[in-house]
Amino acid sequence: MSASRRSVLRGLVVPLVLLGVWFFVTHAKLVNPLLLVRPDRVVTSAIKHYEEGAIVGPLLASLQRDLLGLFIGSFAGLVIGAAMGISRLTDRLLGPTFHAAKQVALFAWIPLLSVWCGTGELAKVVFISLAAFYPVVLNTHEGVSSVGREFIEVGRVFRFSRWQVLRKIILPAALPSIFAGLHLALIYAWLGTLGAEYLLAAAPGIGNLMVEGRESFQMDKVLLGVILAGVVGATLNTLATRVEQYALRWRVRGI
Amino acid sequence: MLQANTEQNLGAFEKAGPSKRPARSSRPRNGYLLAKGLGLLVPATLLLAWSVAAAKQWVPPQILPSPASVVDTLLEQVRSGDLFVNLGISLGRVVAGFAVGGAIGLLLGIAMGLSRTVEDYLHPMFKAVSQVPVLGWLPLAMMVLGIGESLKVAIIAHASLVPVALNALKGIRGVSRNYIEVAKVFQFSRRQLLGKVVLPAAVPSLFVGIRYGITQAWLSLVTVELLASSEGLGFMIVWGRQLFQLDLVLSAIIVVGAVGLLIDKSLELVESRLLRWRPRVSFEAQAAGALPSTTAGES
Amino acid sequence: MTQASSSLIEIRGVSKHYAVKEAPLQVLREINLSIRDGEFLSIVGASGCGKSTLLRLLIGLDVDYQGEIKVQGQRVVGTSLDRGIVFQDHRLFPWLTVEQNIAVGLENARFSAEEKKRSIAEHIALVGLRGFEKAYPHQLSGGMAQRAAIARGLINRPRILLLDEPFGALDALTRTSLQAELQRIWQTAGITMILVTHDVDEAVYLGDRVVIMQPKPGRIRKILDIDVAHPRDRDDTRLKTLIEDVRRQILERPAAD
Repeated sequence: MSASRRSVLRGLVVPLVLLGVWFFVTHAKLVNPLLLVRPDRVVTSAIKHYEEGAIVGPLLASLQRDLLGLFIGSFAGLVIGAAMGISRLTDRLLGPTFHAAKQVALFAWIPLLSVWCGTGELAKVVFISLAAFYPVVLNTHEGVSSVGREFIEVGRVFRFSRWQVLRKIILPAALPSIFAGLHLALIYAWLGTLGAEYLLAAAPGIGNLMVEGRESFQMDKVLLGVILAGVVGATLNTLATRVEQYALRWRVRGI
Repeated sequence: MLQANTEQNLGAFEKAGPSKRPARSSRPRNGYLLAKGLGLLVPATLLLAWSVAAAKQWVPPQILPSPASVVDTLLEQVRSGDLFVNLGISLGRVVAGFAVGGAIGLLLGIAMGLSRTVEDYLHPMFKAVSQVPVLGWLPLAMMVLGIGESLKVAIIAHASLVPVALNALKGIRGVSRNYIEVAKVFQFSRRQLLGKVVLPAAVPSLFVGIRYGITQAWLSLVTVELLASSEGLGFMIVWGRQLFQLDLVLSAIIVVGAVGLLIDKSLELVESRLLRWRPRVSFEAQAAGALPSTTAGES
Repeated sequence: MTQASSSLIEIRGVSKHYAVKEAPLQVLREINLSIRDGEFLSIVGASGCGKSTLLRLLIGLDVDYQGEIKVQGQRVVGTSLDRGIVFQDHRLFPWLTVEQNIAVGLENARFSAEEKKRSIAEHIALVGLRGFEKAYPHQLSGGMAQRAAIARGLINRPRILLLDEPFGALDALTRTSLQAELQRIWQTAGITMILVTHDVDEAVYLGDRVVIMQPKPGRIRKILDIDVAHPRDRDDTRLKTLIEDVRRQILERPAAD
């Protein structure tokens, strides 16, 4: 067996063991079945829900909020992050405020938001935008401000206007950092979506699925929500990685 | 990304254009004060706007309490000792959680770094787990642990563990072959190799991991207290909301932010002392285990 | 081979200093130099003699100095497409291919798309990089990257090409072959080239004239004519004598001010 094959197989050991433990624990009734549901029940429940159309609907609703918030937050983050990276004045003005606000956990804003924006769609989208905003603004700032001066000088030699320097030098050079920020934003936005749905007013969505399950003591429903959340999250993550790898293929393969 | 200063002659004095990354050169006195002043401009303006809005009662005081009332509430919290009780509980949880998570993370990270076998078994799980934000584990954790102290400590430990472990791994794996070869030439024993070459070289990464771990610990503490606690700073936020006393909410948020800032700044200070020999790379650029763990994030 | 051509660049009384805490540091002092149209001028000197700084003033990246720099009678104020430069670190944009990198130089040039394409292809052939149009900088060797940088520097058909220690970061063998390449390219392009280097062999082999500079403060010590026809043979004894001459000048105690 080759070394890399062995590595891959070893990597599967722990997850498989955990899965096995899950089976064993639920079948041997070591845990209260109301708390930890048997894996097969989750599967049957999932199929039932799907047939009732109770998966696709919430899924789309969640994704819609997610993408809307993601777009708004990322856009704002890109603009402000770039502004802070380019203009030292802007950096000095806004930087400390952002740095301080960064210390406050994201979900700590929900109570305030629920008062200021209500508990409906507005509050949810605002929250998701906030979740996406932070990583984008920080990473964009980082990327833009660390563009090597030597490249900007090349632009000057060829009489680039400020706009050309921004578009053709700063943005491409900052792209790796920007992508890192967007990738994080994707993850946090999805997390924010679920959290917002869970904590704010009821409306179709995966987070809502979990709330319903909890309230009607249907743990399989809760688990279904969790698994769906995980699957969507993993899919989004993989997609983002692929896009990133394609867009940044000019990079040297790091070790 | 590293900024290469390519000025050949007299590079230290070259100031032909505005440098994008301000070097830690000694600035004239008034420049420093000006910078600090500008930083306060935005918060000061917001504060002003807030005071005016509250005074003119454009919004009912339940929704927007005046800054004065927030300060009052804060002071009252201090006087009654409530603030310190909650702060103490929160800090206690962070310390406990980080101690557990950080220690385990360090051990695991170093073990994975030193042994390919261990890495093979554990790293894939780590990577998968680190893709899920800490919060994602909350429902599961609540099911298994309930909502007692163990839940908080577990979540905080988890939040600390992953960055510490991944950065420790990165630090050890990243020790340049060149240094190891020098050690070989001088016939270093395995212990000498580890103690005199690998660990010192890995310290910067270890520290980044610890710093990131503490940051994450503080953030997840507040979040857990928001969602599943009956004391602590996070709880204060929720409680104030339920009582519709936004001044309480805001004062709690202010304390959270202030403590977080304090922790961050102190760590920054320690880092600059400890790692004086390193060329400057920003903190954000280095942190591994900052989701996602792609090569794009590496400098 | 001295040509009776007019002077293209006039440098008169150029001085520059940096304000440092204790006392101002004088980088250049009273530089006077005339550069002829079409000549290859080498500037050589030890570290700190200000040769790279002088080049930056010529290209217009630095406008803080005393004195006068005129190109074709016009004062130099900032950069211009009429003056190209090759940096020591090639500074090709890592996110662009070789072709696209060279095209960067044509961003603000007034040619049609057709003409641009043709020009880029010509220049790629000129520097010997045919076949590597679609390569990314990280896929190129140091020497190849510098060739691409030279092509980019020439793409606007400037009157002057400045080269700031272009081969300094390359290994000796690559350096030698690229020096010969540069000589060929210069003869083909027929423009004025100003080369800054710390390599005496390179300076004498390539230059019509060699400007020897000395540091503290940076100033011109001597200007030597290299009266050997191009293309040159490295084994030419006249060159070897001149190389020795220059080296001696540099290593000797600096002349009294």
